[in-house]
Amino acid sequence: MTNDPLYKELRELSWRRKLTASEEGELRAWLAAHPEAQADWEIDAGLNDALGRLPDAPLASNFTARVLQAVERDAAAESRRQKVTWRLAGLLRWLPRAAVAAVVLGAGLLSYHQVLHARRMKLAESVAVVSNVSSLPGPDVLRDFDAIRALNPTRTADEALLAALK
Amino acid sequence: MAFPVFAKLLANMSVELDPDAALMLRVKQGESGAFAELVDKYKQPVMNVAYRMLRDATEAEDLAQNVFIQVHKSAQRYEVASKFSTWLFTIARNLCLNEIRRRSRHLTSSLDAPHPDHEDQPLHQFEDIKTASPPESLLHGELEAKITQVLGELPENQRLAIVLCRQEELSYEEIAKVLGCSVSATKSLIHRGRETLKEKLKPYLRTGQWQDSK
Repeated sequence: MTNDPLYKELRELSWRRKLTASEEGELRAWLAAHPEAQADWEIDAGLNDALGRLPDAPLASNFTARVLQAVERDAAAESRRQKVTWRLAGLLRWLPRAAVAAVVLGAGLLSYHQVLHARRMKLAESVAVVSNVSSLPGPDVLRDFDAIRALNPTRTADEALLAALK
Repeated sequence: MAFPVFAKLLANMSVELDPDAALMLRVKQGESGAFAELVDKYKQPVMNVAYRMLRDATEAEDLAQNVFIQVHKSAQRYEVASKFSTWLFTIARNLCLNEIRRRSRHLTSSLDAPHPDHEDQPLHQFEDIKTASPPESLLHGELEAKITQVLGELPENQRLAIVLCRQEELSYEEIAKVLGCSVSATKSLIHRGRETLKEKLKPYLRTGQWQDSK
């Protein structure tokens, strides 16, 4: 196997594509000068020929249409996913505010309940105090109230006399 | 101030040199017609790569479709840094290798396992290609089958290098970019793969066409 730069370059070109007429001429000239490389080149060229003759892989006639349909389906699915994501994002954006509102409302209700409870407790205490007072006389005591009041009118103090006496 | 203008000018120059990149930029802007044009142009080359790598026409077609779907999905990230074909075949290579590795993870049958119905025969039988020189009337279809078989037995990286080498629009530099290695490493892969192919296909290869007639 020769490592001559020209032969190497032309051989590597032949792997990728058919040599041009000028390149073929160069190669023939080189092979004429190096006949020991002829057999090796023949095999290489044979392989190039065989690989070049490999037919294209079978492909459906509607391949492009199917790709475009698949792309459209993907785009529609992505659009639906984005809508759900946006709705969720919107919901999540309101969630903290809703949480704060819930906390404030809860605190308010709790405070109201505590105030109400405190009032009830105070009322209960008042009732307890009153219930400890000894029993009052019955209404019979007030039966002759007007007559007694007329007999012993309450005198108000003679403030003028008191002032003169000072 | 001048740099963005210069960069845009450079990008435009690159686009002028690569018409496929110009199409891809139109795809980026949402033009489905430009995308269809690219698919039409590259569907066969991509399918050829997928078929030679996966050795199954149905799976290869599915994979080829996925390559273009991936191209469309990645359109917004496409930059005119290299030729479109280099980018396209890089996607094809990645999907092919992923599929081959996925298959190898699920492959559990032994190559030496006996056939369940005929215990004296192996489950997997492989044709012995080291035969005597075939007659010159060997049908081309049989040679194609031989090449396909031997090509399929090459290591993945050598097989892919040789298959990409057949894509005339790719230079060795671009093939190296697709494979993710240097140009010299790429040529070495191709050389080693070809040596194996020549050894196994020698009796079937046409020779004598380059001999000087005297």
